[in-house]
Amino acid sequence: MSGCSGGSCSSCSSGDQDNPDRLPPGMLARYDINQSTADGVLVWVEVERDGDSVRMPDVCAEVLSAARSMCDGRVFAVVFGGPEVKALYPEMFSYGTDTVYHVRDARLGTYQPEAYADCMAGIVERVVPAVVLMGATTRGREVAPRLAAILQTGLTADCTSLSMDGRDLLMTRPAFGGNLMADIRCTRFPQMATVRPGAFDKVPTDRTTGTALYWQYQGEVPKEVLSEEPVTEGGSDIRDARILISLGNGIRDRSTVELAESVATRMGAMVSCSRSIVEKGWMPVSRQVGMSGRIVRPDLYIAMGISGSVQHRAGMSGARRIVAVNTDPDAPIHGFADLSLITDAAAVLAAMSRMLDGKEENE
Amino acid sequence: MRYVVAVKQVPDSGLVEVNGDGSLRRAGVPAVLNPYCEYALGRILDSRLPGDEVTVVTMGPPQASAVLRRCMELGADSAYLVSDPALAGSDTWATARALTAFVQRHIPDADLLVFGRQTVDGDTGQVPYEVAQLLGVQQFAYVTDLESSGDGFTAVQDYGDMRRRCTVPRGSVVAFSGVDPRGRFASVSGRLAAAGRGIVTVDRVALGLGLYSVGTKGSPTVIEATRRVESTRRNRKVVIRDPATAAGLILGEAGAR
Repeated sequence: MSGCSGGSCSSCSSGDQDNPDRLPPGMLARYDINQSTADGVLVWVEVERDGDSVRMPDVCAEVLSAARSMCDGRVFAVVFGGPEVKALYPEMFSYGTDTVYHVRDARLGTYQPEAYADCMAGIVERVVPAVVLMGATTRGREVAPRLAAILQTGLTADCTSLSMDGRDLLMTRPAFGGNLMADIRCTRFPQMATVRPGAFDKVPTDRTTGTALYWQYQGEVPKEVLSEEPVTEGGSDIRDARILISLGNGIRDRSTVELAESVATRMGAMVSCSRSIVEKGWMPVSRQVGMSGRIVRPDLYIAMGISGSVQHRAGMSGARRIVAVNTDPDAPIHGFADLSLITDAAAVLAAMSRMLDGKEENE
Repeated sequence: MRYVVAVKQVPDSGLVEVNGDGSLRRAGVPAVLNPYCEYALGRILDSRLPGDEVTVVTMGPPQASAVLRRCMELGADSAYLVSDPALAGSDTWATARALTAFVQRHIPDADLLVFGRQTVDGDTGQVPYEVAQLLGVQQFAYVTDLESSGDGFTAVQDYGDMRRRCTVPRGSVVAFSGVDPRGRFASVSGRLAAAGRGIVTVDRVALGLGLYSVGTKGSPTVIEATRRVESTRRNRKVVIRDPATAAGLILGEAGAR
């Protein structure tokens, strides 16, 4: 087939002369005033700063890789920062960026949601992309709606899957705490989405060059930031843990919490919990997984004595693998675990502790 | 100070029903106050000073007045229900447009527009910042602390990797980050006080909104299909009596990642 998207153009028809629906050259089968000619994908690339060094977060590489794989148009990246950001160009090109818009403005060195959105709206007006994407990070989820409101377009949050049909983007996202998946389209251009971290693979290429442009932001920077301090809790956020040992109502003895902590430390894991443990006062709210707690996506989620309510599931259904330990064979958690062990959680933790001590060899 | 707290009613727990067009069926499902909204309202009520006025607003079907009633029992002074059949099926953009119209029409002198971080049914967390842009005011996301200072406020925001303090001018949009797993309890005096207060219902026409500016007609995003999540887990169920064997299996899983 020809490369025309939408199929509304017949002037370049590829020889199907006998087609009775064929129109004279130059005449459109369907004249749609709202048919956008927008093309390409524009991505906001966030910059993580650690002292003087800059780093591109994984989610931005994932979004760029996704943009490159699904779109045959150009991939544009927008990045804010001073000259130090130039060090990130090769990485951006490698993940699929064709053109970098580098906004060099000292006022935008600190994160400014209003000005970032306003500035990106100007770039979108220049580029006219079909799609605007950013990572569903704390900042992405704050800037994207502001930008969508300026552009008067729709926005789909936290997508886990994207595909393009011509210029039309099909977005898939979990809804209602991960119990439903919704396929969403946007009827206006650009079509906007934030993309869940980890939903796509980052696929580098060996490309290291592309186009880079400086962009001057003329607008205002209204926000007065009084102080900023990096949060240096290190790995103490359960959302960062690769392995979580999670305790639930089946844990009857408070000492099991300490046991779990000790096992977790030796496994390179962290301990989280369900709401009932927080209600007992055994663990702080910051460790709670679920709809009213935190949403975690570890590689391995070990549910110890957790029944698996809908609210809890909403917080952990994104885990790569789930092991459930619960004496009740009918507990809902067994319905969505990779491995279900019908046994007592506290006893298993004790056994794990002994094994990690090396007294018993793990075969 | 005059506070406007935007709240939402959400279907209670796991009773998910899906309409033909993929929207959630809310009628018949018990609705509760979204816990994030409840938390945001609670933070404002806890910090209010004598003379401050706290107004709650929600957009939803007539039955959503129940959550407004609960907000007033918790301590809100007045409540508005933006309700109209034409508003049904609004996405975040259409919702933001309707809420903006409401604020500009009824409470243009609000000193602070307060939201929760997100709802537990939609999970988008987009409406506060769309409203902020439509009103042309500053937005403050993930707020953990808010205090009065000078003519306005000072907010502490937690971005996960960064915590910062900002000046919050009057009229800004603030979204609190947290949730209280225990919920709040209405006092007896709060309940008695709320019993005497009415809820003002506002419809689309009263807000000057066109038929194509709200609801499904005014929503740029269209839900094509929804489906229940089918488990893709291996779901290997093993009945094990010996904890050591179970521990071995788990450590095996942990090592095999």
